[in-house]
Amino acid sequence: MLGSDRVTTISFAHESEEEFARFLDFYQIAWEYEPISFPLAWDESGNVTESFTPDFYLPEFELFVELTTMKQSLVTRKNRKIRRMRELYPEYNVKILYRKDYHKLLFKFGKL
Amino acid sequence: MMSHSSSCQSSKLPNVVKQVILDEATISQTVERLAHQIQQDYQGLDLLLIGVLQGARPFCMDLQRAIGPSSKLDWIGISRYRHLSGSRKVEIVRNTRTSLKDRHVLLVEDIVDTGLTLNYLIQELKKRKPASIYVCTLLDRPRLRLAQIPVRYVGKDVSEDFLIGYGLDYRDRYRDLPYIATMNFESLSIGGGEEQVRDQQSGNESYEQNPAHR
Repeated sequence: MLGSDRVTTISFAHESEEEFARFLDFYQIAWEYEPISFPLAWDESGNVTESFTPDFYLPEFELFVELTTMKQSLVTRKNRKIRRMRELYPEYNVKILYRKDYHKLLFKFGKL
Repeated sequence: MMSHSSSCQSSKLPNVVKQVILDEATISQTVERLAHQIQQDYQGLDLLLIGVLQGARPFCMDLQRAIGPSSKLDWIGISRYRHLSGSRKVEIVRNTRTSLKDRHVLLVEDIVDTGLTLNYLIQELKKRKPASIYVCTLLDRPRLRLAQIPVRYVGKDVSEDFLIGYGLDYRDRYRDLPYIATMNFESLSIGGGEEQVRDQQSGNESYEQNPAHR
């Protein structure tokens, strides 16, 4: 299936994620949407009480990408999760694109 | 490297300039420094500089001049992603006219951010069997990097502010400024117009280069 067609088959949580997928497709970069959740905290019984699911995984670069298009006040919580993920899973690379970064990309490519 | 700054309040600068981050002298010093490094690294080798159109044109020409006649120069252009329009996949729209086989290729860019453009170009050019392929960029924004690309020479790391001048444009304008400056979007809002709407939508100072217009 062509990349652009694949985009239409996925229910993205946010419009910005769909746009990012199209952007990756244009550059022929393979991607997976929310492919894995990383447990971050457990209760005494070993049940997962907190986890983090990065938005994208780019296998070619072995890189997880998280888009944060939310308010700055909510970004702090996400930053804490990403810090925790890096502590627990240092073998994985994760890049966070903040709202400001993402606006730049959209502006750069004519979305705004 | 020394950095010079000037305010847009200077009468010598156009209103569209907010702050000069690389003046002519600093650009010249940066080009000389990079050229010297490249001369050292490629001594005795068949070096081919490939400038990525359009933005890298002035930098690439100055760089080759500083390196000297031991290097050759060619150009390449690719399509850029446009939301809801344009081609669906990146492609080369202006190809090189020189054989790359067994030559040492140095891709020359004005600015690198996500690295996706160069990632594509490197993959394509590798098919032509160069002896080596690396990247030289005048400006770098490593914080936005997604693709790991072999950026071997960097003139200066810069912030995410929108830059104009020395090849960098805003809607194909201001490339001819002899320095590199952050852009004063407020100057475009005088009299209203589309620029003002864009400016308000995105929080005023948070824009990045528009290489689609390079």
